[in-house]
Amino acid sequence: MIAIADTSFLIDWAKYDNRDLIFKIFELIYLPESTLNEIRNELTLIWISQALEENRMAIFPEIPQISNEALRLVNSSRRLPIRPVDYPEAYCTVVGKIFDYVVLTENGGVAALVDYFDEYNNVKVFRAIDVIYQLFKSGLVKDFKTELDRYSNQTKHMFSVRDLRKYGIL
Amino acid sequence: MKSNSFYSPLKILYLMINQDKLREWIEAFKEAREIRRKYADWNFIKSQPPKIRIALEYYIEVGDLYVAAKLAGMSMDEFNELRIRAGIPSI
Repeated sequence: MIAIADTSFLIDWAKYDNRDLIFKIFELIYLPESTLNEIRNELTLIWISQALEENRMAIFPEIPQISNEALRLVNSSRRLPIRPVDYPEAYCTVVGKIFDYVVLTENGGVAALVDYFDEYNNVKVFRAIDVIYQLFKSGLVKDFKTELDRYSNQTKHMFSVRDLRKYGIL
Repeated sequence: MKSNSFYSPLKILYLMINQDKLREWIEAFKEAREIRRKYADWNFIKSQPPKIRIALEYYIEVGDLYVAAKLAGMSMDEFNELRIRAGIPSI
């Protein structure tokens, strides 16, 4: 599988000590240029630069047609009474739709949008909980719940009741 | 085209939306907001300069890291560190 990641996913994931396992799930992870601009933390940059060096990550360029569609998505989501999507994650979502890449994000607006917006129903969005589940299913981590707890402790990320119910944790 | 006409962009947009799922997500976002409010270190937040305090409060209410970082004049990962110091979970 190939994925495209936004900043909200990477900045948490880079704090997780099992972060490199993600490359067992995804052969390549694209980063849009706008994602890189938002990252200044040294450890995160070191992790990304090593992955770029080893061709496990690559930069996804800014393409005008995708950019226009991403702006349309931002505009549409801003008309609804729900958390909207912003440009960087909208860009990833459009790329995910066009190229059939998994969108890696912690942005709830995106997870919601691909669920309620019919036009984007086919886009696969993975949050950290979904990636950790894939690691568990592949035998790369032993216990799903223990691993979620580890991730939460290391990143200060909490999983919602909705997310935990989805995987039968609650 | 007038926005209240039958073919208004807003009406077309609503036709493409699953209303039941939209309502479910609105509820999920309310739950997330309550959790952020509950765990936030309000003393830390109130001690911050206005630009930072307003950005942290925005993040608690909306959960939007990108806009909150812009409000604070920071990059997203810098703001994420601030979020952790303020005890606000990302959810």
